[in-house]
Amino acid sequence: MKTVTVMPSKKKKSWAKWTIHLFPIPALVIYGMFVLYPILAALSYSFFEWKGMSRGDFVGFQNFVTLFTTEPYGSMFWNAFKHNVLYFVLQMVVMNGLALFLAFIIYQKIKGAEFFKAAFFLPRLLSVIVVGFLGKLILNPNFGTLNIILEKIGLESLQRAWLGDPNTALIAIILVNCWFGLGFGVLIFLAGFQSIPAELIEAARLDGAKGFTLLRTIYLPLMVPSITIMGVLTFIQSFEAFELVYAMQGSMGEPYYSTDTLAVFFYRLAFGSSTASGTTAIGLGSALATVLFLFILICTTVFLRFANKKDVQM
Amino acid sequence: MKQGAIWTRPFYYIVVFAMATISLYPILLMMLSSFKTSVEIYKNPLGLPTSFSLDTYRTLLSKIPFTTYFMNSVFVSIVSVVLIVIICSLASFYIARFKFSWNNALFFIFLLGMMIPIKLGIVPLFILMRDLGLINSLWSLVFMNIATGIPLTMLILTGFFRTMPYELEEAARIDGAGNLRVLWHVVLPLMRPALGTVVIINFIAAWNDFFFPLIFITDKVKRTIPVGMMSLFGEHSADWGSLFAGLTLASLPMIVLFFIASKQFMEGLTAGAVK
Amino acid sequence: MKKINKWLFMMPLLIVAALVGCSSNEEPAKETAPVSSTDDHRVEEVSLTIGSWRTEDVAKYEKVIALFNEKHPDIKVSFNPTKNTEYNTVLNTALQAGEGPDIFHLRPYAAGLKLAEAGFVEKINDLQELSTYPEEALIASKDAEGNQYGVPINLSSTQFFYNKKIFADNGLEVPQTWDEFMQLNDTLLEKGITPIAMGTKESWLLSLLHGIVGPAIYEGNDFYKAVLAGEKDFTDPAFIESLQVMNDLKKYFPANSEGLGMDDIRTLFVLEEAAMFPLGSWEIPVVLEMNPDLDFGYFPIPSKMGTKTVTTWVDGSFAINANSENKEAAKVFLEFLTTKEFGELFVKEFSMISAIPGISSDNALLNDLSKSTESEATPYMWVTNFTGGDPTTKTVLETELQGMYLGQVKQEDVAAKVQDNAKTWFAPFQK
Repeated sequence: MKTVTVMPSKKKKSWAKWTIHLFPIPALVIYGMFVLYPILAALSYSFFEWKGMSRGDFVGFQNFVTLFTTEPYGSMFWNAFKHNVLYFVLQMVVMNGLALFLAFIIYQKIKGAEFFKAAFFLPRLLSVIVVGFLGKLILNPNFGTLNIILEKIGLESLQRAWLGDPNTALIAIILVNCWFGLGFGVLIFLAGFQSIPAELIEAARLDGAKGFTLLRTIYLPLMVPSITIMGVLTFIQSFEAFELVYAMQGSMGEPYYSTDTLAVFFYRLAFGSSTASGTTAIGLGSALATVLFLFILICTTVFLRFANKKDVQM
Repeated sequence: MKQGAIWTRPFYYIVVFAMATISLYPILLMMLSSFKTSVEIYKNPLGLPTSFSLDTYRTLLSKIPFTTYFMNSVFVSIVSVVLIVIICSLASFYIARFKFSWNNALFFIFLLGMMIPIKLGIVPLFILMRDLGLINSLWSLVFMNIATGIPLTMLILTGFFRTMPYELEEAARIDGAGNLRVLWHVVLPLMRPALGTVVIINFIAAWNDFFFPLIFITDKVKRTIPVGMMSLFGEHSADWGSLFAGLTLASLPMIVLFFIASKQFMEGLTAGAVK
Repeated sequence: MKKINKWLFMMPLLIVAALVGCSSNEEPAKETAPVSSTDDHRVEEVSLTIGSWRTEDVAKYEKVIALFNEKHPDIKVSFNPTKNTEYNTVLNTALQAGEGPDIFHLRPYAAGLKLAEAGFVEKINDLQELSTYPEEALIASKDAEGNQYGVPINLSSTQFFYNKKIFADNGLEVPQTWDEFMQLNDTLLEKGITPIAMGTKESWLLSLLHGIVGPAIYEGNDFYKAVLAGEKDFTDPAFIESLQVMNDLKKYFPANSEGLGMDDIRTLFVLEEAAMFPLGSWEIPVVLEMNPDLDFGYFPIPSKMGTKTVTTWVDGSFAINANSENKEAAKVFLEFLTTKEFGELFVKEFSMISAIPGISSDNALLNDLSKSTESEATPYMWVTNFTGGDPTTKTVLETELQGMYLGQVKQEDVAAKVQDNAKTWFAPFQK
């Protein structure tokens, strides 16, 4: 900021300077009251003993120890963790890969680009409850569209109870999530392509670059910022995956914990399973949320550091 | 490009058509199924309904105060989005355009909210809302939408503010404009695409949120559409036609709005998000 | 400059003012209510709210409230249910903050008593009319010290429903012995009819099925009593056999049973594509709503020992919030819930079995079932006694059963896991 030396008296100057500090205040107040305070209060629960819904004594890290060393929590944690990893990998490859490709196609100025953009984005408007319900409908073993289509094209052998089979249930849910989030990725990547200066591409073309070389030397490096942002958002969203799993398979990660994720596991601990018996383990739930938070925080920070450095090199 | 063009173009069209079909089909299926009975859905899942009678919709609308829910949802979503844009513009302007030593830390704190399930703090939140007298008030939802929308909004707006050239701003300052005037007359007009992104993302989130209304709102006349819709799941578990009609009704306002504002939506998202 | 600075100063003020203005928007609404009630101070009007997970019963409870208001016009009641799966979260959050509805639907047995233990539920030991209720009904909301917390509303029972037409067309009769039951299944299978509408996608259906079938394999009430006395546990061979039988039944389930949930199996039964439907009494009105002409009955499951059982428990009680400001009025409403008038209306409107003794219904199916619950009942022990522990023993059973049906767990291991869990908290096993 260069200081501007025109008219204003010193007094007015310092007044104006001071007022700028009011700018972040409304955001800080609301965010502090309704996000930071309740979360910090709840995180502190992880250091207390809980009997049902009443808080007991301070127990230090006991809840964390229990979470990792006592069965069934220990194995549930790692089981859910693996599912989150799969969630992330599949979304990166299928959803973001496809979105990148579709964005590239639209970037080639195809006809009806506006329509396609809108069509891809439409599912994103729906409530997760609706998405989950539609997913269950289409994957229904008896009258779901997927099995019917498989039958019509003679692939009966592939038919299965997608959401009831532990081998396919999680993948099915992740693919529904990809369906839901695809359009957002397309638009982000499209923005990335459109921000590439046309001169750069022309210059590369004149140098004789085309096809794969053009892609590797010009497009991909310049897409790094948008890929980074989608990567980080997908990472956070994958490790917080809850709503869709809950809408489709309930709080038990059915069948047989094959769709359990860390956030679903957290919900089960903190609020009890959604059926009649509402046993809660608030201390363990808070401990799990703390671990999850730290994990996401560390990974995101490390990743962004790494991405920024690479950025600078280019 | 030129050589591959003979087959690449058709290939491109096949891909986008296929993906568009996949994107749109479930929504179409939902709408078609709302005209069917449970038995029809079961016996003839993919076919067209035998009649397009609006009876299901009529009974549904007579049973639930849809207009009330709709108005509540509109109020909550619009107020939330307007406030979030104002509040976050101010804060991200501060973070991105000034270099106070604590700015990075401040930005970081704002982002933390993305990484933790806010549901965790529901009991302290409930107590807070009660002490503020906001239980059963739509304002509890507005505050929650603003607070939970802040991390992503700050991320987008701050990123965008940072990429803007300083020259214009300086010119305005030489003319003697203060901070607010610079923000309002110089910076924000250039930010329209990013603001569009922020508006859309927050509007969708506010419109579809059902967890907080479920907890903070017990008064029936203050329910929002998603909560009203959730009660349908219990009431019509055996009557899929009504259920689909309910889902369609709940989704329709967003879809209509989307078509009306599609262009702004798209431009906003396209131009905004990256940088 | 001046203008802008003023603006700057005004900005936060404006925001604060806007917020205050908005919250004061709420005030008039609050104020008007008391004003109107002081207007007619002949009767002091009280408003009660009821929390529940029965979203499907809104219209029915309106009739209940109307009947209540005939006698007590001065007490306004509003029924505000929350979706079943979110009810615990919503209620627990409000209770922990010292709020919540005046009256709420209490989950039966351990789950509800946990709320009482935390001090959220008002004792209603002095509610005279409860003395006529059978002990089995009261126990659902009574703690170890004998304090009563809830007025039981309905009994639920689980048993096999069957399609009378399919049975008649194939010359089949209601089975009188366990062997007949198994033969019946085989006959149906041979004729290409799905014998049992059941799916394993939602695990709660599995503990429910075990609640019906289990007592037919181990010695029903005897085994139950022995478990309560700590004489037998879940490593007992008879119990393991009951799990084996559960697994054997899988071949009588519909195709793709691992992917079928509640809605799917109900539809199969309603569309007459499956002959039997092992589920709870609460399904009767739902099935009839989908197909009013469906001719179906029920049978108690015949056991290997020659006895017959239907499995019963109390499904819910109404209790008073200990933090309610209208406890007196709430008590008046709870008293009303013990009256014959309510019982008769309940049976008629809800098509469920009333917990009030001696209430009969016009619905023959329901009447017979109601009699069965008096003469052939065995407790649904997973609900009545095993909803303790973390996760609950019931949860462990149903999840492991799901694993068993998916071929990932052996029945011995299911039994061992259930036993291990129960041992951590179930007093008779800790001796």
